[in-house]
Amino acid sequence: MTLKKTTRTRFTRYLSKNFRDDYTTLQIYSRDMSDLPKVVKLFVGNLPDGVIQVRNTEDMQKIYEIANETRVPITQRGGGTAGFGGCVPYKKGVVVDTKGLESHFLVDPLELTVTTSPSIVFSDLQRQLNLEGFSLCSYPSSFHSATVGGWIAHGGYGIGSIQYGGANEQITALEVVLPNGERKRYTEFDDISLFVGSHGTLGTITEVVLKIKFDIPLKHQGCTFDSPSEMLKGLEQLSKINPFSIWFLNPDHVTSFNEVFGYNLPKSYVAIVSKEVSFEEEEKEFKNLFNNAIRASGGQILDRRYIKDIWDFRFKGFSLLGECTDYLVTEVILPVETSEKFFRKIISKFKGELHLEGEMISPTHYSLLIYLLFEEKLSEIKKTILNLKLYKITTKKSRAKGFPYSTGLWFSGYYSSIYGKEQYKRYQEFKRKVDPKNISNPGKVISPRIKFFPLVRLKAIVKIASRLII
Amino acid sequence: MSSSTDWHVDLLEIAQKCVYCGYCSLCPTFKELKWETYQPRGILEQIRMYFSEGIKEDEKVEVSKTLFEAIFACTMCKACENICLVDLPLLKVWEQVRQEAFKKGRWSPLLLSLYNKVKTTQNIYGLPAEERLAWAGLAGLNMSKRTKKKASIAYFVGCQASYSGKMGNVAPSVVKILRKTRVNFTILGLDEWCCGSPIFLAGGYSVGKTFAKHNHDKLKELGVKRIVTACSGCYRAFKIGYPRVLGDKWDIEVLHITELADELIKKGKLKLKHAIKEKITFKDPCELVRHCGLVEAPREVIKQIPNVRFEELPSNKHDALCCGGGGLLKLNDSDLVSQVNSHLISEIEYSEAEIVANGCPTCKDTILAGVKKNGLNVEVLDISELIVRAMEGEQ
Repeated sequence: MTLKKTTRTRFTRYLSKNFRDDYTTLQIYSRDMSDLPKVVKLFVGNLPDGVIQVRNTEDMQKIYEIANETRVPITQRGGGTAGFGGCVPYKKGVVVDTKGLESHFLVDPLELTVTTSPSIVFSDLQRQLNLEGFSLCSYPSSFHSATVGGWIAHGGYGIGSIQYGGANEQITALEVVLPNGERKRYTEFDDISLFVGSHGTLGTITEVVLKIKFDIPLKHQGCTFDSPSEMLKGLEQLSKINPFSIWFLNPDHVTSFNEVFGYNLPKSYVAIVSKEVSFEEEEKEFKNLFNNAIRASGGQILDRRYIKDIWDFRFKGFSLLGECTDYLVTEVILPVETSEKFFRKIISKFKGELHLEGEMISPTHYSLLIYLLFEEKLSEIKKTILNLKLYKITTKKSRAKGFPYSTGLWFSGYYSSIYGKEQYKRYQEFKRKVDPKNISNPGKVISPRIKFFPLVRLKAIVKIASRLII
Repeated sequence: MSSSTDWHVDLLEIAQKCVYCGYCSLCPTFKELKWETYQPRGILEQIRMYFSEGIKEDEKVEVSKTLFEAIFACTMCKACENICLVDLPLLKVWEQVRQEAFKKGRWSPLLLSLYNKVKTTQNIYGLPAEERLAWAGLAGLNMSKRTKKKASIAYFVGCQASYSGKMGNVAPSVVKILRKTRVNFTILGLDEWCCGSPIFLAGGYSVGKTFAKHNHDKLKELGVKRIVTACSGCYRAFKIGYPRVLGDKWDIEVLHITELADELIKKGKLKLKHAIKEKITFKDPCELVRHCGLVEAPREVIKQIPNVRFEELPSNKHDALCCGGGGLLKLNDSDLVSQVNSHLISEIEYSEAEIVANGCPTCKDTILAGVKKNGLNVEVLDISELIVRAMEGEQ
């Protein structure tokens, strides 16, 4: 699709300099963290026809009005820091960059909430909250670049989620402009949960009210495990001591860590456990509980000197990518109880450096960032094959019972695996009601039909390719 | 002797190394302008397009428009390089792209004018070299005995402290400190040329070398071993620019006035006897803290003021906010400077400080403008002025 002259004129008349369609801007907004392989670009309209900086709710209503009348697809974009293709256009159209939204910041110290704009980056929000003695309940590892809106759209989890839950549990109200132009404020859990992980397909978030907490200091403990099974047992035990975060690394990741800091950590699984501690007695209690959990699972206590540096490294996992020539990254959610097989499988399937970084997001599940690092530049074909291999491992129904972290474009069609069939039904009903023309981020969540082969959906093609190619 | 290869980087190779994590979204001008074409990772993407072999000529022209616009919207605060997860040498990249813009004749007229002024008059204001010592006359100081005198320490005054009325107290303050502590120092006087900082910031290392060579030769003629400055731009030029263009030949130790003051305090030569009752904060200039890693000296000096009430700004040291005035942005977009500066002004207001000390004339000028615009009752002082106040009492 290329914008008709009249449509372009309508956008530019209303938005003036906040609408751009020059060559460079379109190119910049045609990707997220991972650029699409050339072969995929043939089937995906990832190059937008225009980019808009949305300023406020009224802008968003007007954009939807024009989009509905002209059937121009809208793709919302926050920080553009994930790799699921959620903010990458599928059917061209217009990218709506939400970073231009008016900023709000209003703390309610009695209700312990903050009202903010979805365009705010987590580190900025945390800094402002810290100045007032408060803190975010949980935040993603892309803390310095992810926007609150983008995080919600991806079904956000992160550091602190084991104690405070994910986006679903932390949002108390959402203001949304629906694709039909209606401006709505949602405060009920069931309504809010529809927008979490929906990648903007149900509307554009324009204001968020998040739960916050007092800025209680964190104390950290560290431990090591010799095998995945021991570590998983340890995670189960550690989850019972009500920690703020349990973050773990695999031996390859630890090796890199040794190289960066000149440490001599054993090449084993390392976990850092953090807990909010206000009093000395609480700290003692935490230490005791932690020691008991480690003893029960067969782990070893990590030398205290290393803990702070490892903890500070939690936002810097991507620094490893600078050391290699090529890489692939994905993220998956796994249950502690059944994921041992997944670990064994992924270790056996991929030759070369495999770095794993996990964060417990509930007492029973963890999110796992998988990095595959390569010494040599991968050819387009090899990269596509490896991507498919990763896709297969992430999506194939196995005894591990894991599922992708988010749907976006690449895992569109897996909404029900992540949120359940009942929720998917509610999602579909709502989508039909508010966006009958499917103009709000088409191609995401629900698997889209393929260009040139309209009878086939993307999910089916990728699934078949991932099975056949291997 | 260094060669151009020492400071030139392979732009395409660096652009391809970007992992697109987006941590560079902390860029102060991107935060204001919001378009990803201004975000460092977006600029790298444009560089990748601009230098890629397959690009068509008309596409290259298109890319160059946004690329060169973005590159001159940069304050060179180095926050992007500091946070970059894969340690890309972004400052070198921005400087080199600015040179590419120069080669393509795409500098703004104001920037070209500054460049020509510096080249022809050897100062950033285009004023006659004879007026370089006017600050001394205005302050009632007789510098004739100090000018071009053989000494191991030289005070490099810099263009802003020499010519700008707003900075009129900076050079006399430094001289007072040096005289009070009986430091045997010299100044280059009319032989002093601009340090070349604006030229280095524009990526003009070949032209900058002429300035470096001139100042170096003049300093060597006087037997100078250490050079002290109160300007963070000059400090950066001496610390980073000169070694790049002169190589091992540049063997003069570079000190910021706070480093020298700290040293003199520790030796018992400088005594800060007079209390300052106002609450003080310190704004770390980007060129001192992020470019050159100078963090503690200013704080050590301020701590020596009797009964001092010192409060850090919320964003301090390596995380200090940019004032918006750096990187030649003032020439290109003064409104953007003011937008970027507003965040720093909010932090100053939050700190409830009554005095904002800093170690950079550009920061001082920009903060002064912001304080005035926002009607804050805050005094903006160069750190040398603050030292003199603590040394001699309220002036």
